[in-house]
Amino acid sequence: MNIVVLVKQVPDTETKIKIGADGKSIDTSEVKWIINPYDEYAVEAALRLQDSVGASVTILSMGPERTVESIRTALAMGADTGVLVDDQATEGSDALGKAKVLAAALKSLEFDLVFCGHRAVDDDENQVGIMVAELAGIPHLGLAISVEVADGKVTIQRPIEGAKVTMEATLPALVTFGGAHAVWNPRYASLPGIMKAKKKPLETKMLADLGLSAADVGNEAVKVSVTSMELPSERQAGRVLEGDTAEKARELTRLLREEAKVI
Amino acid sequence: MQPGHFPANILFILIFVAANGFFVFTAYKLYRILRLGKPEDRFDRRSERLKSVVTFVLGQRRVIREPAGWGHFFIFWGFVIISIGSLETFGVGIYHGFAYWKFLGKGLTSLLYLLQDLFCAAVVVALCVALYRRFVVKPERLRYEDQKAVNQDACIIIGLILLLIVLLFGARAAEYLLAQGEAGRYFPRLAFVSVAFSSLFTGLTKEGLQAWYSFCWWGHTVVILGFLIYIPFSKHLHLLGAIPNVFFRRLSSVGELSKMDLEDETAETYGVSRIEEFSWKQLLDLYACTECGRCSDNCPATLTGKPLSPKLTIHHLKEHLQAKGKMVLAQQGAEEAATANPEGELARALIGDICQHDELWSCTTCGNCIENCPVFIEHIDKYVDMRRYLVLMESNFSPEVQNVMRNWETNSNPWGLGFATRGDWAKGLPVKTLAEDSQVEYLYYVGCAGSFDERAKKISSALVTLLNEAGVSFGILGAEEKCCGETARRLGNEYLFQSMATELVEIINSYGVKKIITACPHGYNCLKNEYPQFGANWEVYHHSEFLATLLKGGQLQPQQGMDKNLVFHDSCYLGRYNDLYEEPRTVLNSILGLKFSEMDRSRNKAFCCGAGGGRMWMEETLGDQKINDARTGQALQLEPDIIGVSCPFCTTMFEDGLKTFDMDEKVKVYDIAEILAQAVTSAKE
Amino acid sequence: MAQGVCVITEFREGKFRRVSFEIASEGRKLADALGEPLLAVALGEGVEAVASDLGGYGVEKVIVVDDALLKDYRAETYVPVVAEILQNLSPKVILTAASVDGKDLSARLAARLGAGLATDCTELQIEGGGLKAKRPMYAGKAFAWCEWSDGAWPQVASCRPNVMDCLAPDTSKKAEVEKVEVALPAGNLTQVVSIEKDAGGKLDLTEAEVIVSGGRGMKGPENFAMLEELAGILGGTVGASRSAVDSGWRPHADQVGQTGKVVTPNLYVACGISGAIQHLAGMSSSKYIVAVNKDPEAPIFSKADYGIVGDLFEFLPAFIEEVKTLKSTC
Ligand SMILES: Cc1cc2nc3c(=O)[nH]c(=O)nc-3n(C[C@H](O)[C@H](O)[C@H](O)COP(=O)(O)OP(=O)(O)OC[C@H]3O[C@@H](n4cnc5c(N)ncnc54)[C@H](O)[C@@H]3O)c2cc1C
Ligand code: SF4
Ligand code: SF4
Repeated sequence: MNIVVLVKQVPDTETKIKIGADGKSIDTSEVKWIINPYDEYAVEAALRLQDSVGASVTILSMGPERTVESIRTALAMGADTGVLVDDQATEGSDALGKAKVLAAALKSLEFDLVFCGHRAVDDDENQVGIMVAELAGIPHLGLAISVEVADGKVTIQRPIEGAKVTMEATLPALVTFGGAHAVWNPRYASLPGIMKAKKKPLETKMLADLGLSAADVGNEAVKVSVTSMELPSERQAGRVLEGDTAEKARELTRLLREEAKVI
Repeated sequence: MQPGHFPANILFILIFVAANGFFVFTAYKLYRILRLGKPEDRFDRRSERLKSVVTFVLGQRRVIREPAGWGHFFIFWGFVIISIGSLETFGVGIYHGFAYWKFLGKGLTSLLYLLQDLFCAAVVVALCVALYRRFVVKPERLRYEDQKAVNQDACIIIGLILLLIVLLFGARAAEYLLAQGEAGRYFPRLAFVSVAFSSLFTGLTKEGLQAWYSFCWWGHTVVILGFLIYIPFSKHLHLLGAIPNVFFRRLSSVGELSKMDLEDETAETYGVSRIEEFSWKQLLDLYACTECGRCSDNCPATLTGKPLSPKLTIHHLKEHLQAKGKMVLAQQGAEEAATANPEGELARALIGDICQHDELWSCTTCGNCIENCPVFIEHIDKYVDMRRYLVLMESNFSPEVQNVMRNWETNSNPWGLGFATRGDWAKGLPVKTLAEDSQVEYLYYVGCAGSFDERAKKISSALVTLLNEAGVSFGILGAEEKCCGETARRLGNEYLFQSMATELVEIINSYGVKKIITACPHGYNCLKNEYPQFGANWEVYHHSEFLATLLKGGQLQPQQGMDKNLVFHDSCYLGRYNDLYEEPRTVLNSILGLKFSEMDRSRNKAFCCGAGGGRMWMEETLGDQKINDARTGQALQLEPDIIGVSCPFCTTMFEDGLKTFDMDEKVKVYDIAEILAQAVTSAKE
Repeated sequence: MAQGVCVITEFREGKFRRVSFEIASEGRKLADALGEPLLAVALGEGVEAVASDLGGYGVEKVIVVDDALLKDYRAETYVPVVAEILQNLSPKVILTAASVDGKDLSARLAARLGAGLATDCTELQIEGGGLKAKRPMYAGKAFAWCEWSDGAWPQVASCRPNVMDCLAPDTSKKAEVEKVEVALPAGNLTQVVSIEKDAGGKLDLTEAEVIVSGGRGMKGPENFAMLEELAGILGGTVGASRSAVDSGWRPHADQVGQTGKVVTPNLYVACGISGAIQHLAGMSSSKYIVAVNKDPEAPIFSKADYGIVGDLFEFLPAFIEEVKTLKSTC
């Protein structure tokens, strides 16, 4: 059983978001990079299968050189090998471009399952994993909070309002993971794990190695892109609502509905 | 069989050599077991070490801190004096004509005999008290699970000593009578106890006396030699272990943790999961334990019903060491033996069978055990070494701990708040960062609580007020500051700690900092006592000592009095770890009208607030009370208006404790800096 | 030449989901701005019967595929059918719902059509003859405006449910229905095995989108009924501070914070909680935080988006009424 886990490196969720000089991306000068939390759940899920059915786990990632650190982290947790697509030409890719790169990289790997987070907490796009499934022509099960493999099938659970749905798909398949930290409790790398990770195979690939050219992905192939960014109207923490009780209750309800859009 | 005459002397020599031979043989085995431990250098500063032996062994300084210790004082010195007498006894055994007075003169011998009599009598009294304590008073601290065996052992020891003394007096009484009027014999009258004993023998013939003398002499000798043989198997192993343990004691600060070599590529395992992975000194600790129970008597975990009792830990480790050590020495290939006999000692896991997980994680590293141990046993690093194994090798710890470790990794603070906001507390305050001005004299190292916790931020700004008021030239690192990693280290994550320490040392040194002030005792201890392991070379001051100096120098002058009752709580990491007991009190004493009282457990016996050793980041579910509630209860008994502290974690612990008692409206918790700042500035307004 | 706006509806258990009306209404707006028609694609079992209702929201024509095989969303049946219809329609703009199924569908469609997709949009505009979409990033800590490259038709956008305005339907208008018969691939790659209703049990804190938490200010366990009620209306669950747990008012499983659960709901309502850092450590990453506390100095306010200074026993009942009213109207 071979599992490929797609891992993206993202800014830590506590990062204070500042808009960069170009006005369309964030300022990364003070960013601490971490593995996308949902991808980390995917790594954990894969490692559990490694423990239970002896799956071999490959980490596949694309990004600049610093991404190696995240791959090493996953290797330290217990993954077996890593592949990084690090090519200048992929810069500026939209989701489809990224999915093409990853799908092409997958072709050169053996896999029964592809795991990844249901979204990356930076772009919050919710699409790369699914696009990879589409390009690879395999089924996709989304938002898993548990996963099992047996008899050529993968079975997951997905929470929906008031219930849990159990779904299965025939292999090969792609599963995206949801849930929360407390659901998965991704393992903490042991020191021997960290030491061993330094010596585990980690291959770096260029677009050409994948049979792609710059025209297929990256800036040239972009269909949709961010043209400007803005910060939400300065949410002043510490805002206190005025008025009598009834007014406050009404105002709070309105704000939650119209401004926060959470109820 | 008259002692010292042929063939009795031959018999004696045989017995003597056999007993000593056996003793040396067992002692050597114990030594070889010790040598199973890892190397550790404790041979530095020898004159200081010898001095310790004089103070703490001969002077029994720590033993007599407690009333029960005086009993030990007499038994110890009685034993020494008796041993001197025993040498004479042995001399007689070889040649009947041997006697001290022939070398020392009659005057000195008289004095020696008098002393011997006095101490022997004192020992008898002390032993009776000991028996009374053990069987009638039954203090908690003498309790062990295998109470029967422990009591039996105590009875054998006490019985043997009593027997030995009675026989000694018997022999002496007979000797006294025999010496009367016999030329070439002398017995000092000054030994009045022996003389008094002789009244038992009045009316006996010379032969009768001779027979009694022989009987008592042989009895005494055999008991002493029996004692010698029994020692290594009993709790009186401490007779062998204690003296070297005092000699090799830690001379650096309490609870300083060793720097692990993480670069060593050949290391197969980190931390301690097998008893022989402790250092020889850590193993020597086990031999030295007197089973007095003082450690547990002061342990906040034990006293609140946690599954941790330092005395039992040491006891269990000792038994395991002896049982396993012998087997390891006897048979090479211990692993096979373990698989061959899954019930045997070799198959018992150090962590899990001998020490329990909850036991290791319950320790707050408060240092009360070490502080109170008469023979300087170091408990803390044993717990931490085992935690190191669990964390580094097995990633085996509670989810809260994992959470806090991740938070340190990504944001360098335990709450996981964005690292870039670390300096925000100082916005609007008159503080510069070193980036703005690196020429300042002092770095104020704020620490995580002082930077992020709303409550502790008030302490930070109070300190800023005071430092500005006193005209101190200082700056902070602001967003560049990092967590010192102290707690990560105590939780056993040496890997994380070392990376944090290396990073912080680099940042601080990049500004050429020489002097540091901090309000956090944990950061203080770590920067001062442990960072030198990472090339730091700074003068580090806790704000209590710094403020005390400013007060003495007149740079700070509290104007406003405070008509309140205050109870002061000593932070473990200031007091026991760094001997700062007076300084915070100096600060409080400078405030007019402030009445302060001391809890029973204060200063070096201060009860921990419950936050140390990483406990601050763990839920406290075991035991019958939370440690902070217990401590708050102790403070509330004195009916204070204020609980004074000098640590941000103590602050949280007491505020939380007050909520438990629903006293948070009536009693307030303040850091000494807050109290002083109010006294210094309020008059101005 | 690409023409018009097309919305892909979601039809389950005999009904269009509300989000379908939202995207239809939004689609109408865009179509008007472009001056082009608004079309819809409706798949499902029994959808034909109600398809013309979309006209009430401004849809001119609905392409319908009605088949028992389309009862549930499944990529292998839905995607090829919708893709084929879209290829024939060749719209400029495609709108989908950013629901669980809609996300799968839209990403697969975009990949199949080689189109650019903006997901989870909260605002759409027409600019320069094409779409401009606003979407949240970094968990709502920033918004991005996305634009499509020249000639990159179609432009696909999925819309976050409950965000776009939903027109009041004009029931007099009916959409033209065009039924297409397609040979459906007998997909069996994915399968729903079972649906287990949560055993009436409490929604786990870490999974909840809304958490209503109570602290020592709640004064006693009985008052948590108020929080249960509020949480119930908001589809959330109840949490607690450690003080409330220590007092025995709530089980430890409810504890939020450093040594309890770390939660990141969209909405966290803290009632009678002072906001000690140990508590904040467990909930400060919530998207929106409401604090109800009578002490204006309580540290919780420094983290709250909306603060209510006052007695919670007065405020909560009033607030619960307001929320009830709101929920009953939509
Ligand atoms: C090791 C350790 C771990 C901890 N872990 C956690 C943890 O995981 N989670 C956690 O929550 N805490 C934790 N704490 C405890 C934390 O420090 C605080 O004590 C606790 O969060 C306080 O709970 P509270 O806010 O409910 O109570 P309080 O601090 O007493 O606050 C009660 C609040 O209610 C307000 N109030 C009272 N009556 C009313 C009313 N009628 N209307 C409106 N407001 C009212 C008051 O103004 C006050 O602000 C931990 C502490 C320690 C020491
Ligand atoms: S350090 Fe404190 S808590 Fe730990 S064993 Fe010693 S006395 Fe007990
Ligand atoms: S460790 Fe020290 S204090 Fe504790 S029982 Fe042994 S000798 Fe006594």
